[in-house]
Amino acid sequence: MLNYIIRRVALGLLTLLLITFVVYALIRHMPGTPLTLDMANMDPRMMPSQEEIDRMNRLYGLDKPWYEAYFIWLKNVVQLDFGRSIPQNNEPVLNLILERMPATLLLSVTSLFLTYLLSIPIGLWSTVRSGTFAERAASTLLYMLYSLPAFVAALYLQLLFYSKLGWLPLFGMHSDNYETLSTAGKAWDLLKHSILPIVCFTYGSLAYDSRFIRANMQEVIRQDYIRTARAKGVPPGRVIWHHAFRNTLIPLVTLFGLTLPHLLSGAVILEQIFAWPGMGRLYFEAIGQRDYDTIMGLTLMFSVLTLLGQLLADLLYAVVDPRVTYQ
Amino acid sequence: MDELELIPPAIAGPPPAGGFWREVWRHFRRRKLAMLALSFVVFLCLVALFAPMIAGTKPIICKYKGRIYFPCMGYYVRSWENPIFRQDRMLHHYPTRLKELDPKSWAMWPLVYQDPYWRVRDNEWPGRPGNPWGINGKPSRLNWFGTDQQGFDVFAQMVHGTQIALSVGFVSMGIASVIGITVGALAGYLGGWVDMLLSRIIELVMCIPSLVLILALVAMLDNVTNYHLMAIVGITSWTGIARLARAEFLKLKQMEFVTAARAMGASWPRIVFLHVLRNALAPVLVPITFGIAAAILVESGLSYLGFGASPPNPSWGTLLKAGRSAIEQMWWLILFPGLAIFLTVLAYNLIGEALQEATDPRLRQVT
Repeated sequence: MLNYIIRRVALGLLTLLLITFVVYALIRHMPGTPLTLDMANMDPRMMPSQEEIDRMNRLYGLDKPWYEAYFIWLKNVVQLDFGRSIPQNNEPVLNLILERMPATLLLSVTSLFLTYLLSIPIGLWSTVRSGTFAERAASTLLYMLYSLPAFVAALYLQLLFYSKLGWLPLFGMHSDNYETLSTAGKAWDLLKHSILPIVCFTYGSLAYDSRFIRANMQEVIRQDYIRTARAKGVPPGRVIWHHAFRNTLIPLVTLFGLTLPHLLSGAVILEQIFAWPGMGRLYFEAIGQRDYDTIMGLTLMFSVLTLLGQLLADLLYAVVDPRVTYQ
Repeated sequence: MDELELIPPAIAGPPPAGGFWREVWRHFRRRKLAMLALSFVVFLCLVALFAPMIAGTKPIICKYKGRIYFPCMGYYVRSWENPIFRQDRMLHHYPTRLKELDPKSWAMWPLVYQDPYWRVRDNEWPGRPGNPWGINGKPSRLNWFGTDQQGFDVFAQMVHGTQIALSVGFVSMGIASVIGITVGALAGYLGGWVDMLLSRIIELVMCIPSLVLILALVAMLDNVTNYHLMAIVGITSWTGIARLARAEFLKLKQMEFVTAARAMGASWPRIVFLHVLRNALAPVLVPITFGIAAAILVESGLSYLGFGASPPNPSWGTLLKAGRSAIEQMWWLILFPGLAIFLTVLAYNLIGEALQEATDPRLRQVT
């Protein structure tokens, strides 16, 4: 087992190296640098002279070719220095990420929790009631939700709850007068702002997961041991929960491992629509500003999480299924 | 097939074994929803193909100064509109100028006299008011789906946007499947270090955040066209196909027919692309169908974020973007394009799922 983990981690590090290298090459080839893009917004009379630009380029290491700069970046990362964001007043990238993390976590953790809380009962219910009118209606609805793109749903919800009904705010995380509110008022304000984003984050995975659970249950429920359990008089609820559902946990666990990176990645378009100050938005802004170190920091984080999630899924596999061993 | 079903089974015996695809089609046809979805996609294809004849301001066919012309072809390719019309400064004034310059001319007009790139003005069509714009552009008898901020008709934009959505879906998935099948086939069939190397590459592309890849590639271009987007979406979305193709080839290369082909002295490219690929195609078709839906989403998402093709670009995503900036008043800019995106994605998902069940005998027995 340990051997397997070490091998996987080594392979993962190699992949990581390649990913960061390719992404660095890509972003350094985008036209413009953080400095030139910054200058585009400047007053022409305040333009720095050529010497000044050269000095700044040297200072930030932008005068070096990209492959050289990549290895400098890599050396710093190994020493746990993730660099600084040039457009954001030299704020350390780590601080920037930590600053944005709670907003994304608020959405993703709530949505993950809601997804599992709802999709398991829905999946089990539709297995038990399979073929009835209510189940087929619910399944159709879930299928349609699964095909509804999140950004279309977001716009529709905004249209309904903001424009037509006026119940919920359009975007942002806080109202303008947030600072003056009482603690309860702040919580209420945050809740009102986060309802729509959370719904948009949740419904897709809810639909997918409950269909997934149902499909797996359908396969399990036809097995001989289920018939045996029924025949020997096990109560129906126990058959479903204890005998059938536990045997669908394996694919569910894999799925869970693969959703891990999404906890932090946020969703660029959704966060853009709701002007939600999370990681997806930071990513989008960083790309627009050619903020190399921030893009690299975020890429590194997402790639590490993706690879970790895959490893975790494989390891959990061995936990839930004793037949699986890694040599 | 239909005639055979009328004959009692006792007389007809078992139905003749059709080919594999015939069998797939038989199973696919049984699913009403999937057939509905398929007809919707066919309908969209027709709309895309005949967009200039459905909504436009150029005649489909006209007789002008003694000759027959097809000015609406100009919507497909600029230069297909005969130069005589540019000389006579006909653009946007076809209804009046045609009669003015040649009283004997006649023309057949598109179903809806509206233009995706132009605000129809007062009396452009004799006696017809021009398009309202901004918050006055509510859906009306003349503008079925309303107009946008500039007064361009939303219906016309959506009809012409169908071309973009469908072609992005098809072309980008075409590119993705060529790359994916080739990579997957080589990795699966050749095995060894080739497999090792190609699998690492697949993993690498999978782990690179596709948005970074797409935005970086888009940023490197000066003038983004939809062809660029197709290529970019294509080269970023082949990994799922490659993985499936690899698994399929790994399985199939153990089969006897491959050994037989090898014994007959067939070269490996011949075995891979002629013998094995034919048998691996069905499962690979499923992620391709889902991929078309995903590609349409990516295109409209990019257009929504403002990273789509350079204007004028009557994409569904562009309309949503315009709607987002006026969400308090102009609901029609969100409702209709959103519905179009939703239905298209839904249709492709339904088709993909039905294909999955029709091509996989294991799933077939279940239902």
